[in-house]
Amino acid sequence: MSMKKNLIYSVIFVLILFAAAGCSKTDGQKDGIKNVTIWYYWETEKHQKTLNKIISDFNESQTQIVVKAEYIPFAEFKKQLSIGTSAAKLPDIVIIDNPDHASYSAMGIFADITEKMKDWTDLNQYFEGPLNSCKLDGKLYGIPFGSNCLALYYNEDMMKAANASVPQSWDELRAVSKKLTKGSVKGLGFSSLPNEEGTFNFLTWVWSTGTSAFGINNPEGIKSLAYVSDLVKDGSVPKEAINWTQGDVMHQFISGNLAMMINGPWQIPTMRQEAPKLNWNVALIPKDKQYASDLGGENFGVVNGQNVDASLEFIKFACEPDRIKTYINDFGYIASRKDVAETQFAEDDKIMKLFAEEMQYALPRGPHAKWPEISNAISLAFNEVMTGVSSPADAAKKAQKTIDSIIK
Amino acid sequence: MNINLKISKNNMKNISLSLLSVVIAVIVLFPLYWIIVTSLKTEQEIFKINPSIFPHTFNLKSYFVQMKNGDFNMFRSFGNSLVISITAMLISVTLSVPASYSLARFTFKGKRICILTFLITQMLPVSVILTPMFIMFKNIHLLNNQVSAIIADATIGIPFSILILINYFATIPKELEDAALIDGCTRFSSFIRIFVPIAFPGVVVCAIFSFLYAWGDLVYGMTFIQDQKLRPITAGIFNFMGQYGTTWSYLAAFAVVTIIPVVIIFVFMQKYIISGLINGAVKG
Amino acid sequence: MEKIFKKVSGKIGFEYLYVLPALAYMLFFVGYPIVSNFILSFHEVSVLTLNSPDKEFIGISNYITLFKDAVLLRSIWNTVLYTVLCILFQFVIGFALALFFNKHFCTSKSVRGFLMIPLMIPITVTALIFKFMFSSNVGIINQLLQTLNLIDAPVEWLIQPGTAMFALIFTNIWIGIPFNMILISTGLTTIPVQLYESADIDGANSFERFLYITLPMLKPAIQSVLILGFIYTFKVFDLVYVMTNGGPVDTTQMLSTYSYKLSFSLFKYSHGAAVANILFVILFAVSLLYLKYAPIGEENSK
Repeated sequence: MSMKKNLIYSVIFVLILFAAAGCSKTDGQKDGIKNVTIWYYWETEKHQKTLNKIISDFNESQTQIVVKAEYIPFAEFKKQLSIGTSAAKLPDIVIIDNPDHASYSAMGIFADITEKMKDWTDLNQYFEGPLNSCKLDGKLYGIPFGSNCLALYYNEDMMKAANASVPQSWDELRAVSKKLTKGSVKGLGFSSLPNEEGTFNFLTWVWSTGTSAFGINNPEGIKSLAYVSDLVKDGSVPKEAINWTQGDVMHQFISGNLAMMINGPWQIPTMRQEAPKLNWNVALIPKDKQYASDLGGENFGVVNGQNVDASLEFIKFACEPDRIKTYINDFGYIASRKDVAETQFAEDDKIMKLFAEEMQYALPRGPHAKWPEISNAISLAFNEVMTGVSSPADAAKKAQKTIDSIIK
Repeated sequence: MNINLKISKNNMKNISLSLLSVVIAVIVLFPLYWIIVTSLKTEQEIFKINPSIFPHTFNLKSYFVQMKNGDFNMFRSFGNSLVISITAMLISVTLSVPASYSLARFTFKGKRICILTFLITQMLPVSVILTPMFIMFKNIHLLNNQVSAIIADATIGIPFSILILINYFATIPKELEDAALIDGCTRFSSFIRIFVPIAFPGVVVCAIFSFLYAWGDLVYGMTFIQDQKLRPITAGIFNFMGQYGTTWSYLAAFAVVTIIPVVIIFVFMQKYIISGLINGAVKG
Repeated sequence: MEKIFKKVSGKIGFEYLYVLPALAYMLFFVGYPIVSNFILSFHEVSVLTLNSPDKEFIGISNYITLFKDAVLLRSIWNTVLYTVLCILFQFVIGFALALFFNKHFCTSKSVRGFLMIPLMIPITVTALIFKFMFSSNVGIINQLLQTLNLIDAPVEWLIQPGTAMFALIFTNIWIGIPFNMILISTGLTTIPVQLYESADIDGANSFERFLYITLPMLKPAIQSVLILGFIYTFKVFDLVYVMTNGGPVDTTQMLSTYSYKLSFSLFKYSHGAAVANILFVILFAVSLLYLKYAPIGEENSK
């Protein structure tokens, strides 16, 4: 009856259990060959296929390194990454949303590759915004994969039917949205989720007034909150947008429930595939004081571990200018390299040309080690005014208090 | 004459109760009907203002989309879910039946602590269990292996089954056990021959719940298993939500594909389950 | 087999031998997470120090920070409100249905079986179905209410602070009814028929039979249904995560979803652990009360 014996029995039991469970796979590597794992979150088939093509091309080009990619759903990505970190069970490369890059670098997940990439002259070719999102305190922690930004999409038929013209200023946008709202069709939609995806969209309004993401509680910041709140009050923007991802917004647009939307170029391949007959076009996001858009896109982050060199081999391969040209359009992205971006789009590709133009006004989020918390405060403030829980002034005050406590 | 009247009165009662039960079923099960109908509609029809209770045309497109979804294979993941859930159920029943028997029938030192422990083990939200469990599974090399999901899923079934079964074992009259002991049964054989059969409906219910907890689990399966080929069917939900957003016809079709097989299994098993419930009544 | 069993049980006491496997299993796999979570909540950690021994001990300051934050108090209130309302309705309706289907009529067995179906659907799928039914423009619930002239304009169920909570509770009741019904039903089958027969002879009416036979005999079953229901409802996660994700503006933020958000989207692991611990402590207190007043499994033990 002694406790000691009980303990022994329970230990034996657990051991048996593991023995039964046993025969688990070992992570062993064959001699000389390095396995490199990539995590990514693109859910559309086209993106997945394109990525796999780059990988298989690389695997065939040499015999030392074998790369494979694992899909982790976006909703799970951060969780999986942080659990993997604490258990020291991470992939070798992470293709990550650029505003999150700095916070992961600050946590020490990514390797400092400044020295290793010093001689890679291609680095000079990168645009400043995307490259800066890979940096923290002057050190390089990754390489941009590709960039994108937001623009205004509009349904040309609806625009014509309402006898409206493409809006250029905030006032025009508000008026046109109202005009286009009829029955079940809403004038304008943009993802307004209380997370990074929402912040990505909200910041275009914030920046257009001339203020920064860190200064919300000022006349400009309040104005941007009030403007979005007015759009909702007018009925032009559906409140439901607070539950919509950018993919949802796109689906609402191609189903004819939205006359205009704010969205990115990566949706275009899917839109053309699913709604080939829809008559749509793009324009710069209407401005208040200045044009503004949000710099989106992904970076390659190299995980601090044993495979840094092998991972860099792959990244250099994937970032060769000629190679980028083979896949960047399939992603609906804009190249982060000047030499590629210059000739990326055909002369008659007016839509991508517009995105390239909008790109000049695109600002990066952060980079800040605690960007997720700042982003949370911003998206929450916009959600508060959209649902009518707070007035723009109160929401701004609250968000500012949180932001100030983070950046000190 | 008198007898006839009585029978018809019973019949009336029988019919009206049956009708009432059908009405209840229709109300409760309406969401299921609705999701099936939605999966057969086109996206345009879903957005119509006055929704049709029957779809105008049977649109099977939403189902075909399920077939080709990148790495994720519906049928394989369904099989994975079955393997995970059945194994988790077996572990959970095997461990919880004897434990609850002992906790119900005997007094011993530390018994209350035991019961409290089983209660406690289900009190942490999944989100905080994930990281420590992940680390543990990594250390014993069970990551990316269905065993990890099986073990984790059984931790939901075991305490639940124990706390339910205690009551079944406790309500069995003492005389039955005494009689068995007089008949020369040992404790172990009286447990197997007397108690388990009497508590059978409870055991069946616990088995069902253990299966269902494992079947419905999303977080464990997704977190511990990265290989798409090994993942349970529920993991497909995020793939679909990410890919099709609010394309409701697709999501509805996914929901139907997830539900229908379980319901079919259940309908076929129902005879046994229900008879287990009814026949298990203590006649003593 | 029996011989070996006898031999072993003679040595350590068969009572323990029956309980030990299950106990060891649970302690091994869940005990460690509980302890590590507890420790974590008193430390300051980042994702890198999460699994290393050199964490900075900061006492209860995580808790102090959290209690100054309105979201925590709101999540506690939301969780309590949600749990109490869910349990109340699903228990009463489930109980009533169990009694109803305990009567013998042609469809009693089959229909009761079909009512089990809501339980079989993975919660994430249920959440998806109800998210669709509650959606403001295409949701059947709005359309039904409008057809019946109960509302003039579509209600934005999941988007308005008050109604989002209602939608969650409604959905959870739908899942909870069969849970309660089936456990009470099986409890009913263990009541010896003779008890009712002798009550009939004594001339008891149906209400008296319910009050003096059914209820007391069901007491243990009711107690475990309630405590388990309480625990499972209180730590609700999947349903809220899919339907509202705590929104709009934290009005349906529960302790579990808040803990998840802190840990996995804001990377504040210690805060996440502390919130989970608060949830744990509340449940722990309730279980202690339960154990004190419900002598579980002691009716027939020796």
